[in-house]
Amino acid sequence: MIWKIAKKEFLLNLMTFKFAVGTIVCMVLTAVFIPILAKDYQQKLRTYNDNVARNEAELRKVKVYKNITPTIYRPPSVLSVFSEGLEKQIANSAKIEYDRIPEISAAAGQENPYQAIFPVFDASLIFKIVIGVLALLVAYDAISAERERGTLKLMLSDTIARHEVLLAKLLAGLLVLVVPTTITFTIGLIILLSFPMVDLTPSAWVRVGLMYLASLLFISAMYNLGLLVSCLTRRSAISLVLGLFIWIVFVVVVPNGSIYLAERVQPLEPEDKIDGQIKSLQQAYKSEFNKSKPRRTNTSVSDSSGAFGHFYSRKINKEGLEYFKEIYRLEHTLGIKYADKLWEVEHSYLNGLSKQKKLAHNLSRISPISLYENLMSSLAGTGIAGFQSYIMSVKTYRDRLIDYVRFRTDGFSATSLFTPFTIEQMEHLPNKSEDPSLDLRDLPRFTLKADVVVDLRKAIPDLVLLIFANVLFFALAFVAFVRYDVR
Amino acid sequence: MIHQIVYKEVLENVLSLRFCLFLLLAILLFAASGFVFLGRYRTQSQNYWKKTNENLLALQKESDQLYKLAFYQQKILRKPKPLTLCAEGFEKSLPNNFKFNIFSIHLPEIEGRSNFMLPHFSDIDWVFIVSLILSFVALVFTYDSICGERERGTLRLMLSNAIPRYTVLLGKYLAAMLTLVIPLLIGLIVSLIIVVSSKDVAIDGAAWLKILTIILLSLLYLSVFVLLGVFFSSRLAHSANCMVILLLMWVGLVILVPSLGRIISDMSSQSPTQIELQRKLAEVAAQIWDNADKFGKNASNMGTKPNSPGNNPPARARLKTALTNARNQVIEDHHGKMLAQVFTGRNFTCLSPVVIYQRASEAMAGTGINRCVNLYQQIQQHQADLKQYIRGEDAEDPDSLHLIFDEEQCAYWWKAISHKSVDFDTVPKFQERDRALGQSLKLAIWDIGLLALLNLGLFAASFLSFLRYDVR
Repeated sequence: MIWKIAKKEFLLNLMTFKFAVGTIVCMVLTAVFIPILAKDYQQKLRTYNDNVARNEAELRKVKVYKNITPTIYRPPSVLSVFSEGLEKQIANSAKIEYDRIPEISAAAGQENPYQAIFPVFDASLIFKIVIGVLALLVAYDAISAERERGTLKLMLSDTIARHEVLLAKLLAGLLVLVVPTTITFTIGLIILLSFPMVDLTPSAWVRVGLMYLASLLFISAMYNLGLLVSCLTRRSAISLVLGLFIWIVFVVVVPNGSIYLAERVQPLEPEDKIDGQIKSLQQAYKSEFNKSKPRRTNTSVSDSSGAFGHFYSRKINKEGLEYFKEIYRLEHTLGIKYADKLWEVEHSYLNGLSKQKKLAHNLSRISPISLYENLMSSLAGTGIAGFQSYIMSVKTYRDRLIDYVRFRTDGFSATSLFTPFTIEQMEHLPNKSEDPSLDLRDLPRFTLKADVVVDLRKAIPDLVLLIFANVLFFALAFVAFVRYDVR
Repeated sequence: MIHQIVYKEVLENVLSLRFCLFLLLAILLFAASGFVFLGRYRTQSQNYWKKTNENLLALQKESDQLYKLAFYQQKILRKPKPLTLCAEGFEKSLPNNFKFNIFSIHLPEIEGRSNFMLPHFSDIDWVFIVSLILSFVALVFTYDSICGERERGTLRLMLSNAIPRYTVLLGKYLAAMLTLVIPLLIGLIVSLIIVVSSKDVAIDGAAWLKILTIILLSLLYLSVFVLLGVFFSSRLAHSANCMVILLLMWVGLVILVPSLGRIISDMSSQSPTQIELQRKLAEVAAQIWDNADKFGKNASNMGTKPNSPGNNPPARARLKTALTNARNQVIEDHHGKMLAQVFTGRNFTCLSPVVIYQRASEAMAGTGINRCVNLYQQIQQHQADLKQYIRGEDAEDPDSLHLIFDEEQCAYWWKAISHKSVDFDTVPKFQERDRALGQSLKLAIWDIGLLALLNLGLFAASFLSFLRYDVR
């Protein structure tokens, strides 16, 4: 019997005006927006490749060990087309330096700060808003309109349990809504793959599959919400208004409200305190450096510009050699020590930021729309977890690089740290352009491991909550329907 | 007859569930906006006054030697305005910090750290509530104004009277506007009471006039959506279909079109990057240094004595001035490109009445990106005034070389700029001037015109559509 009702509902809904309009709108929006987003991604990928190539070229120009300060870039995530997450807000490059440990930071004073007046835009907007509204529109008259038409009492005069009717309607609604979701996803993927630079690895396909499942869960949550609202009222017009009211609260009020509340409840540390701590650490570094540095006697040095904007020395006298050997050794060892201390200050500040973000996240979990958005961004790899694992790898790479340089220069005390020549070679210097570059063939290289498991683990609480929301709405609808007056 | 229609409609709307629900929501949101604004205004004011006083004190210290005044990097913070209650204009993410000395202005920066891990959220100001929530409410009230009445059978009863169709339309429009005005006004009054009673915020007469204009703008904006609802209601025969179409239109106009702005601005021109800027600056500097001798013999030398044969102060002055001008030009171009990119994006999204309304309110309230541009121009003007003042004071000192150029060491060693002290009270200090009501109106006039045009167009369309409507 459930099947019969479900089939009838499904066919009825499929042939309505609202369903047709909704699906066509979804398809049109996907066809218009995905190419724009894919082009944006292509541009980001091209910039990334250029940056990496430029970095490699600079590495080849390096002549002394102290100038090895490459910048590590984070490749843009393909799935940012579907959910942009934090990609545009967090810096996607980190410079390796001796006296600083790289950490997550804001997108380097964003290239164009005036662009902050535009809201974020990605394909999940289509899902969140358009298909969510469509789900609500399909569901709001499931019960109350049937009652108005008089067919509800006819259906229930049969020997059919009330929960079977509700289950049938749920089944039918889900089947109906699977159609536009699948069509949108497929069109989006086809358009995305038609771009030449786009390449989806197997792990990316797994993510896409999971994102599709998440979308289906979200749609069914919205449908259950509509069903609940329909079972609460007697006239379909009222259930529409109620449903739209709840939808507006979930879409507009809860996400913004949760961020605002989080900022009030867990305010950040005042910047003066952080800046003060950093300043005092820098003073301490300077004083320690000045205490142990050797006296500058009759030194003469001639420098030339080298890789990464640093310089190296071409001609030094004997006193200068000894002096600079000591200076650079001191600089590097002290710098590395103070880098750890500076990092702790910055890290505690970032922890404050994370706590605020977690609170905002938890508060916004009331709304299935926020749950869905967070889920999509963690699955797409553009959530905070993706950036944290990237920075972790950069940090370990920095340690490896420092160990490499330390090994090659005997604990930062060799002259190859700041000059490529020995005293004898400096007598007969070649042309500037023929200065020998370092042999860096055994330099450790940076590789980013795309970790699906970490992202999945971050996504699991939201997934569970979405399933729970589904179950909750359906249970409440069931309770309301059991007491529903069908006459 | 029109009075009766209006009266009946208003009564029917006010006594319905949807009115109660949305009235409650509107009041809550306006109250929240009042509280949010107060909290933010207080902290921003404290910060602003602290930093400005620090700047003034430091400037006073520098005024004991004229040349130091010339080279001191002043930091101007953007002043928090009371009218950000009405239209914040995304100011919390826009650059608010301007550093300059009399020779060059740096690119504006954002001072202060904010939590970059949080997603962007729209700050709750009046424009946000009206453009998002109240427009939605307008659609909810008018979607069944014609087709709902037809379904209930009362439309033919009404038109069987001796009443022209346009009167019916006008009556429904006025009734819907009156119904919307109630939550709008109550919400505004609640918000204003919260703000005014706190005594932290000073709203002067000009500001009240601007608030009034913004309220009228909001009414103009809401009437666009009322007419949109009435238009679609008079096209379709079933109110459920009408709701579907209106919802999708709302989603498209209010949520999707404004989001396109970022993409359009990225597509219209490449974002000028910091790396590019540094590269250009280095290029321009290298070009000038390589031709140093063009400015005079020994222009590239800088010894400590102005009269020694190796130095040529006027030539050095010319060289340095050329360098400063070239650098300023590059920075200006960069800034101009950034602004042009953003304005292109914004102009494209003016397809949506939301953006038109936002732009007009920002122009009236004197906030948002136009204010940043205006502030930048005012700072440039002040910089020129300060330079003129220094030149004037310098001319009175016979000891100095009267060469005002951007090299602090030379000004110190050679006395290129006078070393005398000046009275701090005569030094021009920067004060941000608000735009007058007339000027703000002039800025907003195109947007007001657009909204009025939309209104007229939609009314004409609904009128034509209703004339041919089948009322049976």
